[in-house]
Order: sequence, then C-alpha cells, then structure tokens
Amino acid sequence: MKTYLKKNKFLSISVVILIVMVIVDYTYAVIALEKTLDQLVTMLLIVPPIFVLIGLFDVWVPRETVIKHMGENSKLKGLLLAFFIGAFSAGPTIAAFPIAMMMLKKGAKYSNVFFFLMVWSSLKLPIVLFQVTTIGLKLSLIINLSMLFIFLVGVALTDKIFTKEEINDIETKAIEYSKA
Amino acid sequence: MGLETYIIYIVTIVLLVVSFFKSKEKTVRGLKKGVKTFLKILPILIPLFLFVGIILALVTPEFISNSLGESSGIFGIAFGLVIGSITFMSPFVAYPLGVELLENGAAYPQIAGFLVTLMSVGVVYFAAESKFFSKKAAIVRNLISFIGALIVIVIVSVMY
Repeated sequence: MKTYLKKNKFLSISVVILIVMVIVDYTYAVIALEKTLDQLVTMLLIVPPIFVLIGLFDVWVPRETVIKHMGENSKLKGLLLAFFIGAFSAGPTIAAFPIAMMMLKKGAKYSNVFFFLMVWSSLKLPIVLFQVTTIGLKLSLIINLSMLFIFLVGVALTDKIFTKEEINDIETKAIEYSKA
Repeated sequence: MGLETYIIYIVTIVLLVVSFFKSKEKTVRGLKKGVKTFLKILPILIPLFLFVGIILALVTPEFISNSLGESSGIFGIAFGLVIGSITFMSPFVAYPLGVELLENGAAYPQIAGFLVTLMSVGVVYFAAESKFFSKKAAIVRNLISFIGALIVIVIVSVMY
C-alpha cells in the first residue's frame, strides 16, 4: 500500500484534495471531476490520429532515414525538420512526448527532439495565428521571437547541459518504451 | 475541435489508406503499435487529468482576473508567472482572457509573463515528462521556457 501510494503520488494527492473538497464544499469536487472528464473526452477526440501516425511512422520509416535527416550529423536540416514537425501540429504537449520518444528511438539527435518539444509547447502554428488575432501582432512577435531565441540557445547548450551518459539513458528509455 | 484537428484526421486517414494498399501486414502492425503506445500513456494520463481537473476547479478564469487585475508591479509579475506555470488552460481560453485583462487595466508585463508560462511551462506535466525522459530533462526544458518568459517580460516592459 505504502509503495503504491509513493508510486502514484499524483493520484494520492488528488484523491486527498478531492476528499477535502467534498468535506468543505462538494461543488468544487463536482467541478473538478467534470473538468477531468472534459480533458479525457478532448484527449480521446484529438489524439487517436497522433498515435496511428506514430505506429505508421514506426513500421514505414527506417532508422537510417531518421538518422540521416535528424541524427547526429543532420545539422541545420535536422533543426528545421524538428521545427516544422513541432509547428505544424495540434494537441496538448503531453501528446508530443510519445512522438519525441519515437524520434529518439529511431536515432534522432537529442537536441533536435528537445527543440521539437519546445516548439510544440509554444510555437504551434494554429495557436500562433489565434494569438495574433487576439493579443495583436506586436505582443505576439515579442513573445514568439524571444521564445524561439531562448529555445535555440537551449539547443546550442544541450551538449553542455547533458552528459553523454544522461542522453544515452534517455535514448535507452525511448527504445524500452516502444518495445513491449 | 479546431480546423487543425480535422486536417490531422484527414492526413491520417489518407496515409492509412496508402499504407494499407502498400502492405496490409505492415499497416496492421503499425496500428497495433499505435494502440499499445496509447494504452501505455493512459496510466500516466488519468491521474494527471484528475490533478489538472482539481486545479481548474480552483483556479478559474474569474480567480485569475481578480488576482492579476489587482496586483501590479513586481508582485503582479511574479504572481502571473507562478499562476501561468502551475495552471493549465486551453490557448483558446487563455488569449481572450489576456485581452480582457489588458482592456480592464492590467499591465502588459504581467499578462505577457502569465501567457508565456501558461503555454510553455508545465509543472503539471512534470511527473509525466520525468517518467518519459528524465527528471533533469524535464527541469531543463521548463527552466529554459521560464527564462524565455523573463526575457519577454523585460522586452515588454521596455516596449510598452
């Protein structure tokens, strides 16, 4: 029981908060559960094609191709590809994690995958268009150019921040993840 | 569902049909892999959604507009950054909310900081991200985005 609670911290904390909510004011608990269901439904509507694409990618795209275009020696091309895949996408960041794992498994360079994740989280094209129409061009430009700049700095520093072993560990996890 | 969702569905269906005609066996194998990958992510997702649901019940748009609208200066900026980092909100709710707050007199830097961290810093995703990659990878990615938010705040403070 103890190890189970430790392993599922999120679940344990959530359940405790829910119980407190029921005691204090149960309408909060109802809203919380409704929002949970909402997210689940949205997820089930949006992500199935993403996982179909991950599966198709796995069987059709050979490792050599990914290594050539996004691997260690892919240079600018790999970075651009990472950018475009991240920008022309839809879905919450959590849906990007399995895609990133698939890229790593197929031999993509870690800094490229890292860049892809960051672009997905904040520079998705549909969102950027919506951003411009709401908060205006000026503020959108400041936000997106600053973020792009700091992401590129992050990419440039990846090899300094992470040791070879740390990156190898992540790659091993990626291979394990797509196995069983 | 937005337009991009329909586009992804259409692209997926087209690719699936092409794949099926090229090799039935490979397509079935690919689909099986996709389903497996999805099932593997579910045990991580469901507790996460429960947690996010709780946050959404507590940190409502009204709560945010009350807090961000009133508090100003460094405190307001810090508040915007913290709320943005821990909450999770659809961009289609967040940006109109940002505009509304600005129209009601909120300052640009705190709204900019709030919007940037809201999109790119995901403390709620932290556990999942650590499980997929590593704790360090999750920390570094969130930290880089957080520094990005600080840069945005500085530029916005100068420009507005």
